Amino acid sequence: MNRRGVLALAAGALSGLLGRRPRAAASELRPPGALPPGDFERACIGCFRCAEVCPTRAIRFPGGVGLDAGHPFLALREAPCVLCMACTEACPTGALARIPAVPERVASEVRIGVPVLARKSCLPWSGQGVCRLCAYVCPVGSRAVELVGPQQAPLFHPEGCVGCGLCEEACPEEARAIRIVPGGARTGGRA
Amino acid sequence: MSGKQNGPGAQGLRAAPEPEGDGLQRLRLPRALTVVRRLRCRSSIDGSQRRPLDHLGTPPGQSAAARRARGLLQPWDVALRGGRAYQRLRRAVLMVSVLTVVGTPFLAARFADRTWPAGLFVGATGAARLLDVELVDPLMSAGVWLARGARPGLLGAALPVLLLVVVLGRFFCGWLCPYLPLLAVSNAVRWALGKLGIPTLDLRLPGWLRFLVLGAVLGGTAALGIQLAALVYPPALLARSAYRLAFGLGLGGGAAVLAAVWLFDTTVSRAGFCRSLCPGGALFSLLGARSPVRVRREAGACTDCTVCDVVCNLGQRPMSDRLDAGCERCGRCVASCPTGALALSLEGRRR
Repeated sequence: MNRRGVLALAAGALSGLLGRRPRAAASELRPPGALPPGDFERACIGCFRCAEVCPTRAIRFPGGVGLDAGHPFLALREAPCVLCMACTEACPTGALARIPAVPERVASEVRIGVPVLARKSCLPWSGQGVCRLCAYVCPVGSRAVELVGPQQAPLFHPEGCVGCGLCEEACPEEARAIRIVPGGARTGGRA
Repeated sequence: MSGKQNGPGAQGLRAAPEPEGDGLQRLRLPRALTVVRRLRCRSSIDGSQRRPLDHLGTPPGQSAAARRARGLLQPWDVALRGGRAYQRLRRAVLMVSVLTVVGTPFLAARFADRTWPAGLFVGATGAARLLDVELVDPLMSAGVWLARGARPGLLGAALPVLLLVVVLGRFFCGWLCPYLPLLAVSNAVRWALGKLGIPTLDLRLPGWLRFLVLGAVLGGTAALGIQLAALVYPPALLARSAYRLAFGLGLGGGAAVLAAVWLFDTTVSRAGFCRSLCPGGALFSLLGARSPVRVRREAGACTDCTVCDVVCNLGQRPMSDRLDAGCERCGRCVASCPTGALALSLEGRRR
């Protein structure tokens, strides 16, 4: 056995245990069930299994060589999350906490991101007509989006939204007024 | 022929050759000559170009003592003679591993609705789930353990490979690592470059460097809060690159790191990454340091032809009994030995 090697290992482990990094702010949309930012990056080993089982191929990996290269993100602009929870089931490390695909559990525990509405492009808000598509496709209904006023304009409630991006996908091509952005309190916790 | 064995130089440093080894030795020597010529070894059979220091590594009387020990430990004394079957088995296992790493992503991409054996297999070597049994690379498991605290599920997932490593030593590198085919190509390119007269460096970085790298990777993982092994460990990079390709995401940064590793191995140092930089190899070396599976040399049958030293990718020196935890148990030295002096043996205790 090599003494220097053992010492180096011990020193590395010790320095790691002493110096913990404070939690980072959310910068990416993580798959459903993801631990809070910081904890997620600690636990994810970039094995690609979440992306492998994703039926809509919404889970992608960044292309560069940066520190984030091994972490999955959701490309909700291109494909929505259908909340099948297959990725949380596939994750080997618990970076995605397991959430059963039961509507109540999904509605209360999944917080991928929060919706941001550009009212200037939204058809009802800009007075171009009635649309209602976002409310129609929303899996959690009035908890996340309400239709208000004579134009039936959508009013989002970020605290009730799971951030699946179905509304972002349903929003008509000429409007594209909805965008899910990172943020909101994730409740994945330390499973 | 046998002049070297009984010559004055060998006589002083080594116990007299055992009489029963002699017949075998004489029978096999002509083949030894051809192999040695083909590989252009530096030493010659008559010993005139022998490197004298190599013989100092062999303690006098070692062979007789080893034989006595083997006599005592009958049930453990399982010697794999004639390493060709061993090589066939190793290549078959390696091929399954490589096909898994490269094939699973393409199968998963092709059968996106998971009509192919759904639930039978998710993921590839490194983090696979086979029939609901999780298998995670011990290096990855250690990284998560350091960064997030002990997790019994992860330890259980690493346990099968851990146990195998403790028993078989650093076997993962020689039997399962999907980088090995790339390394074989690298060695072939080195050989071809040499034929063309283009020089390639063979920098011998110290082997303990990989333990520093392991410490840095694990320490950095805990300190930065990012799984660094996923960014530098070739099996993980290979698996992710294969997935990226299969899922139409392009090659990505992992492939760039992988290409850098391959170019380093090809132009700067033969298998230099595996030998002295790979954190996974370092971890397996540490865990398998007490493995009872060892390459054993029959000093009486050895002609000091250096073939075994030459074929070893990882800088082990079976000819002078200088093998350490860096041995990946690939058995190529055993298979290449022209006199059958080398064998992989199970030993009940350390020499």
